[in-house]
Amino acid sequence: MGAFFDAIIDIISSDSTYINGALFAAFLIFAASGEWVAERAGTLNISVEGMLLAGAFASAVGYDVTESMPVALLAGIVGSLVVAAVQAEMSHRLSADQFVVGLTLNILVFGLAGFLDNELEPTTKHAGRWVIPVLSDIPLVGDALFAQRWPFYLLFAVIPLTWWVVYRTRWGLEVRSVGENPQSADVSGIDVNRRRRQSIYYAGFTSGIGGWFLIFGVIGLFEDSVVGGRGFIAIAAVIFGGWTLRGTIAGCAVFAGALSFRLSVQGLGYEVNSELLQSLPFVVTLVGMALFAHRVRAPAALARPFVRGLK
Amino acid sequence: MTATAPTTPTPTPAAARAPRQGGRAGEWFLLYGLSTLGALVLSALLVEATGGDWRPVVNALLDGSLRKPGRWGETLGTAAPLLIVAVGTIISGKAGLINIGQEGQLFVGAAFATYFGFLIGGPGPLNVVLILIFGAIGGGLWAGVAALLKFWRNVPEVLSTLLLVTVGGQLVAYGLSQPWLLLAPLADRGNRNQVSTQLAEDNRLPRPEIFGNEVPLAAVIAVALAIIVSLVLARTVWGFRLRMLGRNPRAAQRSGVGQTRYGAAALMLSGAFAGLAGAAMLAGGGFSFGNYQLVPGFATNIGWTGLLVALVAREKALVAIPVAFIFAGLRTGSSFVGATGVEGRITDVIQGFLVLALLIPPAVMFLRDRRRARAAATERV
Amino acid sequence: MESGSTDPAGAVPAGAAPAVAFRNITKRFGAVTACDRVDLELHRGRIHGILGENGAGKSTLMKMLIGLVLPDEGSIRIDGESRAIHSPLAAANLGIGMVHQHFSLVDALTVWENVALGEAGRLDPGAIRNRIGEIAEQYGLVIDPDARVGELTAGLRQRVEIIKCLRRDPNIVIFDEPTSVLTPEESVQLFASLRQVVADEGRAVVLVSHKLDEVLHATDDISIMRQGQVVDRLLAAEADAPTLARGMVGREVSLRSERAALGVLSVDEANGFDDTPIAPTTGSTATSASDGRRPVLSITNASLRGSGGTPALQDLSLDLHAGEIVGVAGVEGNGQRELGDLLSSLLSLDSGSVSIDGTRVPDGRSGAMARAGIGVIPEDRHDSGIVLDMTLAENLVLVDQSAVAQRGVLDRRSLDRFARAMIDEFAIQCAGPDAPMWSLSGGNQQRVVLARELAQNPKVLIAAQPTRGLDVGAIEYMGERLEAAAEAGVAVLLISSELEEILDLSHRIVVMHSGRIVGEMTRSEVDLEQLGLLMGGAA
Repeated sequence: MGAFFDAIIDIISSDSTYINGALFAAFLIFAASGEWVAERAGTLNISVEGMLLAGAFASAVGYDVTESMPVALLAGIVGSLVVAAVQAEMSHRLSADQFVVGLTLNILVFGLAGFLDNELEPTTKHAGRWVIPVLSDIPLVGDALFAQRWPFYLLFAVIPLTWWVVYRTRWGLEVRSVGENPQSADVSGIDVNRRRRQSIYYAGFTSGIGGWFLIFGVIGLFEDSVVGGRGFIAIAAVIFGGWTLRGTIAGCAVFAGALSFRLSVQGLGYEVNSELLQSLPFVVTLVGMALFAHRVRAPAALARPFVRGLK
Repeated sequence: MTATAPTTPTPTPAAARAPRQGGRAGEWFLLYGLSTLGALVLSALLVEATGGDWRPVVNALLDGSLRKPGRWGETLGTAAPLLIVAVGTIISGKAGLINIGQEGQLFVGAAFATYFGFLIGGPGPLNVVLILIFGAIGGGLWAGVAALLKFWRNVPEVLSTLLLVTVGGQLVAYGLSQPWLLLAPLADRGNRNQVSTQLAEDNRLPRPEIFGNEVPLAAVIAVALAIIVSLVLARTVWGFRLRMLGRNPRAAQRSGVGQTRYGAAALMLSGAFAGLAGAAMLAGGGFSFGNYQLVPGFATNIGWTGLLVALVAREKALVAIPVAFIFAGLRTGSSFVGATGVEGRITDVIQGFLVLALLIPPAVMFLRDRRRARAAATERV
Repeated sequence: MESGSTDPAGAVPAGAAPAVAFRNITKRFGAVTACDRVDLELHRGRIHGILGENGAGKSTLMKMLIGLVLPDEGSIRIDGESRAIHSPLAAANLGIGMVHQHFSLVDALTVWENVALGEAGRLDPGAIRNRIGEIAEQYGLVIDPDARVGELTAGLRQRVEIIKCLRRDPNIVIFDEPTSVLTPEESVQLFASLRQVVADEGRAVVLVSHKLDEVLHATDDISIMRQGQVVDRLLAAEADAPTLARGMVGREVSLRSERAALGVLSVDEANGFDDTPIAPTTGSTATSASDGRRPVLSITNASLRGSGGTPALQDLSLDLHAGEIVGVAGVEGNGQRELGDLLSSLLSLDSGSVSIDGTRVPDGRSGAMARAGIGVIPEDRHDSGIVLDMTLAENLVLVDQSAVAQRGVLDRRSLDRFARAMIDEFAIQCAGPDAPMWSLSGGNQQRVVLARELAQNPKVLIAAQPTRGLDVGAIEYMGERLEAAAEAGVAVLLISSELEEILDLSHRIVVMHSGRIVGEMTRSEVDLEQLGLLMGGAA
């Protein structure tokens, strides 16, 4: 038992735990912030997984062609937006079932990324590290938050942007209204399905950044398994967070902690079965949802399609 | 009029039904034809754009799925688990539940089948039946976790089934690394360290040879199950109540169709079908599913693809039969595509495009039906 | 009031172009013509009542004015200029606003957020709050801009609706069935502010209603619509109730359903109630039916919380005896829906119990209430009454399949036979037993519900807003069926926000307010003023 606590202390006092945790959290937050907006508008957008993969792949190709990271970022956003476009147009223009579309998109993007990766074989590298003086000297979390590769710092733009857009703009007010009561929003003169489509595009936008961040800020190279189901953890974080932005970010942090814990355990040389550890973040997610999912109120029209006049 | 129009959950487009009038059959045919063509053209363009040629790809697909010796039997063998998974998905879908964790349920089912198959041992056909039953139990229990989370803790089954795919995969992989669980004794596995003991000859599903093709018994079982489920859903009280639950849970609740009881049953049953598919893959063998033994990655996307089959078949078990065969053909054909110089994963892409394209016609027709119905309903009250 | 100064022949202020002129407007939905060559003019400074039954085309006409529906033919002129109004936003820009009764507020948002909804331009919470304050002062519509709308009463919610409309300073204001959720007192208050909006500011106001009395008292001009056409135009000052009733209905109907459909009732009538010609109810032994007998349905001290955690039913007790019709009167949103849901096994009680014939029925357990013999015509049939995506025949056996099944297998032929019998008996208009439920009109869907619930031979029948959205013929039919059921020994609980319906059918009346029964009276001792006070929670 003593050894167990020693291990825990080792892990929570290890810089790498925090650094990895921050990386995972950042990746999840990029995905989850947009996903949160889409869910507030009424779409349980499971194609976020595909958006992340498309964003990662497109940014890798963008970099391969131009050797410019900003261009790669744009390419990533565009790639992710293409997936968002299919999801948005099919589920909120044609009113095809959003889960079916999302699931199919995830599988299609996985196939496409694998196929094109073999055909194009894009080469990428890590982005440079920016160490912010003074702040990065804070014990434990300094390195994690203020000595990362530069794509990490976009996080500090995306979070406030998302908050501002949803709570301080007319668009955000309308997005919240179509997720709560699309009939009322419609009568008030809001194009419900248009707002829902736009919110999915917003999810595509942040997921594109997330995919790009994954390649240049975390892994450094593209494989078709880079996302590996973490888009679903982002969805879980939104639910876990009770459909508030603050809760969503907290959810991302908790799940990232689980992911990073696994890495640290092995990195510090402790003998734990790797298969069981790999499922830890997923188990934590499930337990988290089991504990909290029933307590919070989802947007009233979440996952309900809107067709005017039929309600 | 609408001032007092009632509120109700909108039926999903999946509720749009097959054409009733003759004139609409033509429209449906045209829409489906155009969508399919669109998907194929898009795939061909993609092949061309990456420097390939689409014609040999088509040839290779046909060779690999039908024309070359023994290939259609192989395709049938691949179609069998796809169909079983799809039929299970249709059951939960009818109850309004979105189970997307078949991949994991299939794998866990196969693991149960492996473990108990050897634990009980016993010779011959009886043990084959036991293997299949334990596969179903394993898949059902794994889906039962999601059912428990949903009906006890209100966790959306879309997410729990999905997350359980990964968890299930890793649990089985763990089992495969432990000699006291699934790992074969050293003598049986050579140097491989994550593999189960091979099923004995008399513990396998037979594959009688017809016209130079091995026709797997699993395919017969799958088709029989599709027909039975189709009848049960349409003709029995249980099926009736399940459909009621899926279409209007509140009406069902009032009428004595408890969400928890019927929903959990449907979800576990759909998991059981996935698990059965896993057991059938294990006992049915064939080179696409390994060598009558369990390995990591054994499920090889059969669960996901089976789910797509159900979606494309629009929750009709009988329609799922040809769809499963076509998707199986894409899969068996893909191994021949590599020889044309085009990456074999193009078939995944074709499949994805096809599924997306096939979502369009019902959605279009649904919107039109609804507009008409609404026009009639609002003003005729 | 300007009406005195206008020319009675045309009621048009000379010289000015009408604020709105519908010219030859036609709108078809499929085979149905909702509006048929409608000509109508609205003038500034006047309140124009549009009267018609459900389905007469008045709502469709107004939807064209606010851009929710486009006309097939004809033109709409705003201040003399022909305009195409494609969307609610376009309508708002033309100065047209509508006070919606349902569906326009988002519960989860605050008052100011709701008021801001549907405008264009930058979101400025401060400015909106100020404007709400101004309007509150100007019209006496006081409200807290930061309150969450879901927590407001029906009257306050409507206040938000009105503020939302007036905030854009519209020239043309449409009130769509504004009093359906209000107490009589609240209605009077509403019309006072309505008059102010018109008289002081020269706006054109439309009052859409199917309530005769309301139109007669609150408007200047009246147009009557029937089957998509304007069949009569008159000045309110020269109109009387019987003329309007005949114009609106277009045929003689029984007194009861006419009254129910037209809403001929007002607080003014209260004292003279005994003189009004309401037919005595058929169950003459009604009030004595309950004496000394054990109740069939007995609800004891029922309490439960609503979705927002606020109490929906509070210590509610109610007994129902065989053969009687008990009317539950009350303004909507005072627990009636929860009462219906409780008896449909859709809600569980926090405390209290429900018993049938003295045996406790487990609340919230799927199907328990139905099995115990409680039939329900739900308030919203789409919610728990029917399954739109199943066939008519299947909808007839939703609750109990035992008659059409053998050993768990449905017998198609006996289902078909049963369905055909029901279609005949209840005169359900449909393409046949296999017609999908969504293809039926609302009235026929309601007949399916009625047929199914009566076919179960229930001990108790709950009829919640059973005639809502139905036309006169269907209302009449429903009333007859309920009475026949009571005569056959069924205990009927009639939950309705239409007081007329309750007065016409009930043997005994209870009043609900804030989830409690606040008063009870037999049919013979009804005092309308007292009833109105009870409904408003004032007594």
